[in-house]
Amino acid sequence: MNPPEAIHESYTRRIWRRFHADTMARNGFRTIIVLFIIAALAPFLANSHAIVRVAHGRVTFPVFPSLEPIEWRFLLYVPLAGLAWLLRRRLLTRPWRGAGLLLAVIVLIEIWLAYHHVVNDPSNDRDRPATFKWMPLVAYSPLETASEPFLPPSWTHPCGTDSTGRDIAARMLHGARTSLSIGFVAQSIALSVGVTLGSLAGYYRRWLDIVICRLIEIMDCFPPLLLVLVAISLTESQNHMFYIMVVIGLTTWTGVARLVRGEFLRLSNLPFTLAAQAGGAGDLRVIVRHILPNALGPILVVGTFGVASAILLESSLSFLGFGMQAPTPSWGDILNESRLYIDFAWWLAFFPGFAILITIMSYNFVGEGLRDAVDPRLRIK
Amino acid sequence: MTTYLIRRVLLLIPTFFGITLLTFLLVREAPGNIALVKGGGGATGSRPMTAEQRETLIKFYGLDKPPLVGYAAWLQRFVFHLDLGDSWLDDRPVVTKITERLGLTASLAGSALLLSYLIAIPLGVIAAIKRGQFADRAISFTVFVLYSIPTFAAALLLIMLVAGGDYLNLLPMYGANSINASEMGPLAWTWDRIKHLILPVICLTYASLSYISRYARVSMLDALAQDFVRTARAKGLPERLVILRHALRNALIPVITVFALELPVLIGGAVIIEEIFSLPGMGQLMFQSLEAHDDMTTMGITVFVSILTLLGYLLADILYVVVDPRIRYE
Repeated sequence: MNPPEAIHESYTRRIWRRFHADTMARNGFRTIIVLFIIAALAPFLANSHAIVRVAHGRVTFPVFPSLEPIEWRFLLYVPLAGLAWLLRRRLLTRPWRGAGLLLAVIVLIEIWLAYHHVVNDPSNDRDRPATFKWMPLVAYSPLETASEPFLPPSWTHPCGTDSTGRDIAARMLHGARTSLSIGFVAQSIALSVGVTLGSLAGYYRRWLDIVICRLIEIMDCFPPLLLVLVAISLTESQNHMFYIMVVIGLTTWTGVARLVRGEFLRLSNLPFTLAAQAGGAGDLRVIVRHILPNALGPILVVGTFGVASAILLESSLSFLGFGMQAPTPSWGDILNESRLYIDFAWWLAFFPGFAILITIMSYNFVGEGLRDAVDPRLRIK
Repeated sequence: MTTYLIRRVLLLIPTFFGITLLTFLLVREAPGNIALVKGGGGATGSRPMTAEQRETLIKFYGLDKPPLVGYAAWLQRFVFHLDLGDSWLDDRPVVTKITERLGLTASLAGSALLLSYLIAIPLGVIAAIKRGQFADRAISFTVFVLYSIPTFAAALLLIMLVAGGDYLNLLPMYGANSINASEMGPLAWTWDRIKHLILPVICLTYASLSYISRYARVSMLDALAQDFVRTARAKGLPERLVILRHALRNALIPVITVFALELPVLIGGAVIIEEIFSLPGMGQLMFQSLEAHDDMTTMGITVFVSILTLLGYLLADILYVVVDPRIRYE
């Protein structure tokens, strides 16, 4: 890169370049993308229906009619990701409009589709005769109880089967959707609450600051898991993915709020803010257009770490039996079941545990890389 | 400083009310109640009960009154008589129920905290001294992986590998003691208890260990970059003394204050760990009372944990000033 370009390099671009120079962060980012692709393509990777089937001279694609609304959801990410890639220059130079819009669309799709559930479909194409058929990688659906219970990992069942003969690999592939989307949406909710309250407290100070700080302190005094446990038990419809997202989001915003408040306290006394105020800008304009963009970097960092902890929280909840209810596949739920058979069925605990570890680690690496990229001095916390 | 402290302590009061009020409303508004539990249809209910009897129970526990009235009654008893009430499940005082279980949780959290400091500080210091070299990268990476392992997954895998079943059978799987513990002598009993606590303590240790050692590394790096370290080197002190006497002592200050903030994290972690290992500690009690709608016990534990946490935050703030005279609160 020649010097004139370096001088005119935008903030976002500089962050991206520094982030990309960090090997661990880059690998974490790629892993997350791969995980999202796996989640998006889960019905094509693990399904009892053939992708292509040729029989009686007709070519059919049995996998598509078998898709549930929930299955379409991650498929929507594919065009969205393509859109993001096409608009990448615009997104990088004008982070607010592009990224915000994209995020809003994703969150809306997520919330809208979170109402749907995986439905058990007993039919399958494994044993049906055909001239030619192309089965998915794992030829079982996540809810199918078609095999012998407790089969150790083998070629037909790469991760073994559970106590009712369901294929663990299929459940894991579909469970990736639960973990990834809960992490993402819950953290988006936490970010919106945290940024709103934090900026109000930091900008207006005085009694508003005192009240919001008490609120943060109150929320912080509960161990997060306990608070979520109590809040989850508030509803009968516990298997509502949407509800779990909201509860996790509404109980984990304090870290963001603390950080945003601190940034606002710091930034609202700087000359550029005073200049904006002197120029007659309203409070809302100063907050949203002047101060917030300057605090965006650190917010992004906590947000990324927050996704990791939201995923951890969701799997802990499912593990304790309070999260996603059976039969919806979730990594924490497979782990929960494994407790009963821990004596011999190592595959029940190992694979979901490993999947959670990889996901959380990737997010943490990305967060770490972002932090170093945003501000090398921001290493503590 | 004194003004700051007074202000700080006074602000704890509304926070405390907020916490207890929030908990009270949450447990009260949760679907199901103690009458349903006792009258069948709940988590522990077995005896069938008539609707009339259930009504009596609901009246008895004051569940027919608005939640705020119930909170006021609870608050009045706690503030004026320091009485946390009796458990709705077995009518024993909540304080007794908590103190019975406090020992186990305290020894669990205490030994985890101690162990994580003992391991984390040397790790962090070595990583800081060897900054950018192989040792630093290896330690940082390991610590990072540890930080990302969910506690419950680690606990399950540990149980699977070393506690019976088809694999190694070195340590007990469940409980705080063996079944025949009451017949053991004090030495054998202690050894038995230690064996039961090894796995839970490991699980609680590794997570806070990774946090503390990352913190220790940063803090040590900061200290090593200071002028007084350069002076110490310049006057010809051996490197070992520079590090141990000059850098480390200053680096430890922020690291030690973290311990106050680690307390709630450890207590939260203990909930899952006690549940997995069937340890009769506070976390398990909380879990059970939530499930059984034993609101009194839930409130009692909340009060206990929140006071502990608030004091922890306060202590951290005070420690900052005590160990570092440069910090002044106005």
